[in-house]
Amino acid sequence: MDTLSQISHWRVVAASVCGVSHIKTNQLCQDAHHWELLPDNILVAAVADGAGSASLGKVGAMVAVETAIEEISFHNLTQEVLQDDALIQEILTTVLVSAKKTVESEADACNVQARDFATTLILVIASPQAIAVAQIGDGVAVAKDTNGNLVALTLPDNGEYINQTIFLTSPEAIDKMQFKLWRLSVANVGILTDGLQMLALNMAVGAPHKPFFFPLFDFVTKAPDRNEAKEELVKFLSSEKITQRTDDDLTLILAAFHHHY
Amino acid sequence: MLDTLKLDEVVEFAENPEPRCPCVLLLDTSGSMQGEAINALNQGLQSFRNELIDNSLASRRVEVAIITFDSHVNVVQDFVTADQFHPPMLTAQGLTTMGAGIHKALDLIQERKAQYRSNGVAYYRPWIFMITDGEPQGEFDDVVTQASKRLQQDEASKRVAFFTVGVENANMNLLSQIAVRTPLHLKGLNFVEMFMWLSASMAAVSHSKVDEQVALPPIGWGNV
Repeated sequence: MDTLSQISHWRVVAASVCGVSHIKTNQLCQDAHHWELLPDNILVAAVADGAGSASLGKVGAMVAVETAIEEISFHNLTQEVLQDDALIQEILTTVLVSAKKTVESEADACNVQARDFATTLILVIASPQAIAVAQIGDGVAVAKDTNGNLVALTLPDNGEYINQTIFLTSPEAIDKMQFKLWRLSVANVGILTDGLQMLALNMAVGAPHKPFFFPLFDFVTKAPDRNEAKEELVKFLSSEKITQRTDDDLTLILAAFHHHY
Repeated sequence: MLDTLKLDEVVEFAENPEPRCPCVLLLDTSGSMQGEAINALNQGLQSFRNELIDNSLASRRVEVAIITFDSHVNVVQDFVTADQFHPPMLTAQGLTTMGAGIHKALDLIQERKAQYRSNGVAYYRPWIFMITDGEPQGEFDDVVTQASKRLQQDEASKRVAFFTVGVENANMNLLSQIAVRTPLHLKGLNFVEMFMWLSASMAAVSHSKVDEQVALPPIGWGNV
């Protein structure tokens, strides 16, 4: 058992699984995720989806999430910092710029083009009273408050075509970054890559689908053991019910905060 | 086991329509295609269907339309998803009104996109796949010039991806002036292999995420 997670009031379950189409062609899962619990009940979490068209999308995605989490943990985040809109936006932007640079220099070191490492990136900072998100590309971050209201913090950033998006390595990435700061009593946070988008969102109105998120949030809130919960989440993401609807790689981070009054 | 651990029973999915991946087959059915060529093409269409329905997601996402051009332009098959697609038996006769055919294909795509948008259906970049064994014939030159101009604009603005396949004595030189992408020359009458490639490519597109280009399978059925 992770001692920090016992001290913290966050429970987190996260998994990335390889899509059926990638299993068939023996490709790697091109999604990656990473999260960490910081002091003062701060949770930082990141997901990334390497582009299928990029030869090294998997590497790009891994470098992106690891850099983002490492960098954000240097910023001495506290609940107080999350009170300051301008400051938190500046921190998130700095971290994303740094993740972009790291991915690009990694590409450089491997003697390939930055676009061969093309990946999306969603970075979330969550505290008991606020959530801040920065997102480049598609996928979505959602939140539920303690009154049971479910909201999409970001929306998938697609162009005219569903398979078109911007990437961390795109020149316009930082300009097109979505940023959202949400302040309410936080019950849950969910972050997912585009593979689950069609199942988790009502795409016509861009709203999160309650019958999708509520049971999952309930699950992470009650999950007694982290390893068992992760196993269950992987099993769910690999179940036929899901693979009939999507053959893409899937990543889901679920978090619950236990308020004690 | 706890109730909370039966996720696949309790989690329900949003009912979004499948995103669509439209593909227009723009086929030359002029007199010169008579005989072996049209038979091979019909056979190719059958294998196209069979390959697509073998892939459960592609069969619900790839939409096929068929337009033929000879002395007339005909929409032989309006857009249907692959699971609803029953290939027609094409016959060959008459001239080669290719310019009018290209216009019709671009119109059809424009209309389809409008339908997707008004119904909230997500979609991929449409493909037009033109197959011919000749060159424009039986229509005014400016019809072809205009069609070509429109096509080049639509390619530049990424409204469509237009592929040309020349069969046997097709005028490859002229075809390369009409379209933006370099036309491919089919080896013999290898339509079956070509359509298998097309099906694999559409399947790849229909679950892709692109920066600029989707990596397509290697082409064994033709050459530049």
